Amino acid sequence: MDGARLLLGAQVIGGLTRAWDNLLGRGEAAVTVPPLDGALRPNRWLDEATSRVSLPAVDCLATISGRLVVSAGNAIYALEDDSTWHKLSDYEADVACIAPLGAGAQAVALATGDIALEGHGFDGHRVRVAPDVACITDMAASGTDLYVTNGSATGSSEDWQLDLLQKNSSGSIWRIDLKSGRSRQIAGGLAYPAGIAVDGAGLVYAEAWKHRLVRIAASNGVKAQVLYADLPGYPGRIAPADDGFWLAVFAPRSQLVEFVLRETAYRNRMIAEVPRSFWIAPKLRSGCCFYEPLQGGGVKHLGLLKPWSPTMSAGLCVKLDGAFQPRLSLHSRADGATHGVTGIAEHQGRVFAAARGDGVVVSLALAELGDER
Amino acid sequence: MSMPDTIARWRYRAVPDHMLGEILTKRWIDNAIPLLFLVAVVAAFGSVIPEFFGAANVTNLTRQWGEFSLLVLALTIVIVAGGIDLSVGSTFALGNIVALALLNVAEWPMPAVVAATLASGAAVGLVNGLLVGFLRLRAFLTTLVTLIIVRAIVNMLLLHYSVLIAAGFADSDAWYFLGEGSVLGVPFSVVVVSILAVTAHLVLTRTRAGWHVLAIGGSRRSAHNVGISVRRVICATYVVSGTLSALAGVLFASRLGGAGADTGIGLEIVALTAAVVGGNSLGGGRGSAAKAIIGSITVMLMVNSLVRLGVTSGANSLLLGLVLLAAVAIDVRWLKNRHKVLSKVYVSPTFAALPPAPATEAPSPYALNDRLRHVELIGLGAIDGPEDVILDEDDHIYAGNRTGDIIRFLAPDYRRQEVYAHIGGRPLGMAFARDGSLLCCIGGMGLYRVAQDRTIEKLTDETNRSWFSVIDDSRLRLADDLDVAPDGRVFFSEATVRYEMHDWPVDCLESRGNGRIICFDPNSGVTRTVLRNLVFPNGICMTHDGQSFLFAETWGCRVSRYYFSGPKAGTVEPVIPDLPGYPDNINRASDGTYWLALVGMRTPSLDLALKMPGFRKRMARRTAPDEWLYPNINSGCIVRFDESGHILETLWDLGGENHPMITSMREHKGCLYIGGILNNRIGKLKLDGADPEWTGPASYWGHR
Repeated sequence: MDGARLLLGAQVIGGLTRAWDNLLGRGEAAVTVPPLDGALRPNRWLDEATSRVSLPAVDCLATISGRLVVSAGNAIYALEDDSTWHKLSDYEADVACIAPLGAGAQAVALATGDIALEGHGFDGHRVRVAPDVACITDMAASGTDLYVTNGSATGSSEDWQLDLLQKNSSGSIWRIDLKSGRSRQIAGGLAYPAGIAVDGAGLVYAEAWKHRLVRIAASNGVKAQVLYADLPGYPGRIAPADDGFWLAVFAPRSQLVEFVLRETAYRNRMIAEVPRSFWIAPKLRSGCCFYEPLQGGGVKHLGLLKPWSPTMSAGLCVKLDGAFQPRLSLHSRADGATHGVTGIAEHQGRVFAAARGDGVVVSLALAELGDER
Repeated sequence: MSMPDTIARWRYRAVPDHMLGEILTKRWIDNAIPLLFLVAVVAAFGSVIPEFFGAANVTNLTRQWGEFSLLVLALTIVIVAGGIDLSVGSTFALGNIVALALLNVAEWPMPAVVAATLASGAAVGLVNGLLVGFLRLRAFLTTLVTLIIVRAIVNMLLLHYSVLIAAGFADSDAWYFLGEGSVLGVPFSVVVVSILAVTAHLVLTRTRAGWHVLAIGGSRRSAHNVGISVRRVICATYVVSGTLSALAGVLFASRLGGAGADTGIGLEIVALTAAVVGGNSLGGGRGSAAKAIIGSITVMLMVNSLVRLGVTSGANSLLLGLVLLAAVAIDVRWLKNRHKVLSKVYVSPTFAALPPAPATEAPSPYALNDRLRHVELIGLGAIDGPEDVILDEDDHIYAGNRTGDIIRFLAPDYRRQEVYAHIGGRPLGMAFARDGSLLCCIGGMGLYRVAQDRTIEKLTDETNRSWFSVIDDSRLRLADDLDVAPDGRVFFSEATVRYEMHDWPVDCLESRGNGRIICFDPNSGVTRTVLRNLVFPNGICMTHDGQSFLFAETWGCRVSRYYFSGPKAGTVEPVIPDLPGYPDNINRASDGTYWLALVGMRTPSLDLALKMPGFRKRMARRTAPDEWLYPNINSGCIVRFDESGHILETLWDLGGENHPMITSMREHKGCLYIGGILNNRIGKLKLDGADPEWTGPASYWGHR
């Protein structure tokens, strides 16, 4: 009884605080985005990458049996001679993501929610997390378990902007036993988990709409611990590196979007009345059409778009150490050409980044980055 | 229109939100709190004390108030200059006894008495002024010492002369008129104060000397740095203060005719309270005669009313002290927070629904194309922001730049350029007058003319002030584009009266009709506003009938036609009511139609925001200007239309490589010359089928 009363009191106070904050633009209503500083100081690494190979709609990257594999559209490609794409296989639906299963096998998730298990010991049979799970964003295998993130319970991964603007928190993390095919939800109510990595005994997932990395116990999903909070972008896939992890941040946060997220009336009307590509929302690639919103700093002066100008899309990869703290970052700024990095992988001494926004895979030698470190 | 939109529209039509911010920009708003306090005091005591508003009470109080407010005025002048004069009470007493002694004992004539008394007060002020101004002693301590010394002198004079004064009797009607006379029923002292207060107000607000005083009070060091003789001005304020105090003493002497030891004791604190309660800042720099008057009335009423209510003397002083404390505290907080409040409330977006934007796909006359892709570039990287371009009969190109020059690119190849004229400000729209001189709207300055011998002349920088405008809109802030009527009258647009040129995005955020079109008549030299409440009026172009012009409203996304003479004189007709972008300059085409520059394109997100003023207001408050939602001025195009509003063709630069934003274009001898206010080049496009002999000046004024 006392507990319930206490809870009610806390809710009332919370509501009043929120109303007050909203009036003055403080607290949760404050429209602030963390600055790009420290390890996240802007550079042009992604745009100046020595190797750039274009592939429209490129999405996910993985290293499978010593070979770099990418997904684009409904097909999977391998890189040959560092410059051409060789199609390995294609599917009846778009590939949502791919993940190595160890020893040359791979799991390929489709936009329909099916997961194909292929190669070495698997015969290509399909498993499903659950009948209604159809927004698979990332997968990570550990032993005979495959961990799957489902971004949203309501939409597909193509609807991620809508999911953000609706402020949904319906994502979940699942574990599939590859032997039995049984699946179990180990965490739910997440704000668009978009990346996952196995780290020792735990799981680390990227919760995009809350701009953070969280560690949970692999067994049952409890003991959530925030490892890296308040990222300046929306974190996506996490890939293992030699000494840590790579994090692909698929879109930057912006003050205007943060503001729109707090303006319910405008947001609802925008969703209803404005075509999706012209929303005030983060994008994988912005500035394609003059019907897109323009912000003050984005006005071209003397024929130039300033690199610092506010933008709805950018390229950002963050190198994390073993404790998931940022060590260095690769950027493509507002005027860059490597926006919307959705996939990242380390392979043969190079780091590959798949920029879906610009349909290009860029790679940099890790040794080049040494200076930065 | 949906229900919420209709409600929003009426809400923003009914409540003029922008007024609040405009009122807060006025200096007189500093008087608001003192005035409210005065009203409260009158209301409170008026309701408690019977006969408060009775004739006897009012007459009695006003006579006293006349003398008292002189002291407050004296103190105010010193405070405004950043000092303080505590010796006003003693000087008042000195003036009283000197006047009585000279009159009753020395038996001088009245004018001599008044003059000598004022001189004695001025002498005390001079001592203060020399010590504080020239020797730079602390004003507080110095005037405290003079307070004591002058008080001692008064006491010594009392010892010698009090009996003689009481025995003497001045038989002078003129003398008694000072204290007891009335002019048209108004006590003489009140008349004196009124004249002096008006004088002080005029001096402080309208004269060099007054501005020096305020400047020194605002910042002594800055005043010194700009060359004001700080020491002399400060000294002068004390002399004025001493003289006014002595004058108060004269009036007091005439009214009561008695010298006592308690005359003027504690008066400096009451006067100080009055000055501060009136809103004069103790820190200096902010104050006025009006504030002194308000404060003196307030304190006078309080003191007298408290006495009449039977409050003991101690409690009376205590209350006065508390009021002084509160006044100082309020003054500090007000000073600190006024500009914060102002910055929060000044920007006041309004409901602005635009008609649906026409499509830019194939069947539409606005359909996208690449026709501007292959422009020839002139002055690439050598010109900073040619808002408008114009060509003369000899094919030279003229364009304004960001640093206030009008640049001339020399025909035929335009590789050489020269500064044709340096005006300053921001040269915007240009037009040639009949005599070949170049007329130019200068953002921030007004309408200018550059004659053919390159002499620069200001044509006008102000227009008639609107009767019901809170802010002073007589001065031109953002003269934008102009055109010349056949009779020589110049019609030009002023985009906004609420913002300076570089704050144009804020005006877009507001999307209110803040702009106007103004007419300058060179024959009479008169400037008058002809159209008001236009939404960022921009381009202006004379039609061929000689009776009307076309004008573009940028944030309104429309082109209209205004008739300035003929049968339809004074009427406005819509020409293109729904543009897909934001129109800028309009100019004539060779075939009798018109070119229109669209500086940017409408975006659905901003169109929606325009219907939600609250959203825009919060955006302005909470996000940085670089993050604001802007009209998309990274893509523009050029449109050709005729007088009936039909779109004849559209020229696009897809991708915006050369002309991301287009603010102006001129046709000249079969080519189109293109300018952009944020661009660093002028484009030249060969037009197919255009008259290769046609020039703008010839179209307006015939071949010379």
